Amino acid sequence: MMALGRAARRRLRAAFVYATLAVVTLIMCFPLLWALVTSVRPNEEMLSVRLVPDHVTGAHYRALLGGRSMYFEAGAGAYRASTAPSQHFLAWFANSTVVTLATTAVSVAVSTLAAYSLTRFRFVGQSVVPYISLLGYMTPSIIYVFPLFLAIVALGLADRLPSLVLGYLSITLPFSMWLMGAFLRSIPLEVEEAGLIDGASRFQVFRRIVLPLAVPGIVATSIFSFIVAWNDYLIARIFINSITQLPLTVGVMHFFEGTHVDWGLMMAAAVLITLPLAVLFMFVQRQLVVGFGAGAVKG
Amino acid sequence: MSLAFVVYPALDAIRLAFYSKLPFRNTFTFVGLENFRYVLADPVFWASARQAVVWTGVSILLQTVFGVAIALLLHQAVPDINLFRGLLLFPYMVPTVVIALIWRWMFNPEFGVVNATLKSTGVLHGDIYWFSDPSWAMVSTILLNVWKFTPFVVICVLARLQTIPVEIVEAAHVDGAGAWRRFLHIVLPQLKAVLAVVVVFRTIWTFNKFEEIYLLTRGGPGTSTFNLAVYAFEQTTANLKLGVAAATGVIMLVFLFAGSVFYLRLMRQQEA
Repeated sequence: MMALGRAARRRLRAAFVYATLAVVTLIMCFPLLWALVTSVRPNEEMLSVRLVPDHVTGAHYRALLGGRSMYFEAGAGAYRASTAPSQHFLAWFANSTVVTLATTAVSVAVSTLAAYSLTRFRFVGQSVVPYISLLGYMTPSIIYVFPLFLAIVALGLADRLPSLVLGYLSITLPFSMWLMGAFLRSIPLEVEEAGLIDGASRFQVFRRIVLPLAVPGIVATSIFSFIVAWNDYLIARIFINSITQLPLTVGVMHFFEGTHVDWGLMMAAAVLITLPLAVLFMFVQRQLVVGFGAGAVKG
Repeated sequence: MSLAFVVYPALDAIRLAFYSKLPFRNTFTFVGLENFRYVLADPVFWASARQAVVWTGVSILLQTVFGVAIALLLHQAVPDINLFRGLLLFPYMVPTVVIALIWRWMFNPEFGVVNATLKSTGVLHGDIYWFSDPSWAMVSTILLNVWKFTPFVVICVLARLQTIPVEIVEAAHVDGAGAWRRFLHIVLPQLKAVLAVVVVFRTIWTFNKFEEIYLLTRGGPGTSTFNLAVYAFEQTTANLKLGVAAATGVIMLVFLFAGSVFYLRLMRQQEA
């Protein structure tokens, strides 16, 4: 074998590392990429395994957003309208949006105030609250979703969107409180005391001094709550019964009912569900890394 | 208020484990340990537990091996990791429902890209029935889990790799240690702590996972991909045995608690 020079060997090694990385990245990205490609592929080419489609169509998106589904009937050689569950797609999208935004807002407001009182005032049982919060965060929701549902029924909220907000808060609040507590503890008390001495009220101190300093924590908490609420399946599956009240995640699983599965439509739905997260992701990538450092990723 | 919403249902779940609820009626009867006796005598429960162990074990093993390997590669290639760290986090944000939809499409036995590719490259002659063959159903759920959570391992390991002083690795290089021996004797011992934490955490979470399995295979074919979470869900929704599900939940909590205690022990050992 020919002896390679040191520089050539290093270059060969770098090439190997980059080639392997490229393959890994491709595998990581492939499922999402494949969904995207399928969502614009005409039904006639659905069996193609090429990554670049020969023709591009918006038919699947139009079917979803236009509120009715078209399917290709091979025997008749034509598109037919169907009364599939996909006609509710826009309603589901609206439900998911409302519930997610409400959950995020309440989660941030309550956890910020709770964490502030936890870190600034003294009361009985104070020291155990963070531990209980963490325990709640670790507990898988399958364990408490049914008792929670009984409580929701007792409150008369079953099958209504507010029940989802309450359900998601039971997941997001413990951890949000813990996370906000960690952020607020890092704000020095001296700054606030200075404000109080200068004659500001407790609330003014909170609003003018603490809140601006707590912005990174608030962002991390919002991202976490948003993801939990937008991605949930289990709680909505148990709490909601009417097809018009469903959020996206439970709704799209209804696409599998019936004998015909429209994969183009399905992948268009998959892309549209992921879209808000992708947009959020682009804006908050940096904070996401911070939040990850604090453990804001449950899985 | 917030605590009420967490603590109350959890306690109620434990209380329910000792009660029996008649279907369609809102009455609860105290039955003592009857639910636990039912669960422990149910062969499906034991099968679910066994499958959960297989599912968790294989998933964690693959995630850890791939995770460490990819982290090492990234550490070699990219001086500024922040861009990649962001990209790696994305699978985390994608809803499990979406991944399950994509998986069902990609692994579709007749039209899916996976079987088509395997056949056109000559690896495979017949079709693999990814969701209707019990062993392959298990494989496809494990693949989903590994795909979604390997990035978690990568990020954790990478963060630790970057704090290992370059000098000690270089010193070993100068002493003539090859790449494999450098990894085994220098890098791996440094990673031990973070790997322990990652493995314990992922084990606790994976063992109790519901959506990753249910959305892909519904626990099927039959009950061949049930774990305890899917078992509890089916006991409630299909069999209307809320008490039995609650008893299963209590058993899961015991496992969770044991895992947490183990984790805290580990942390204390590392601090000492």
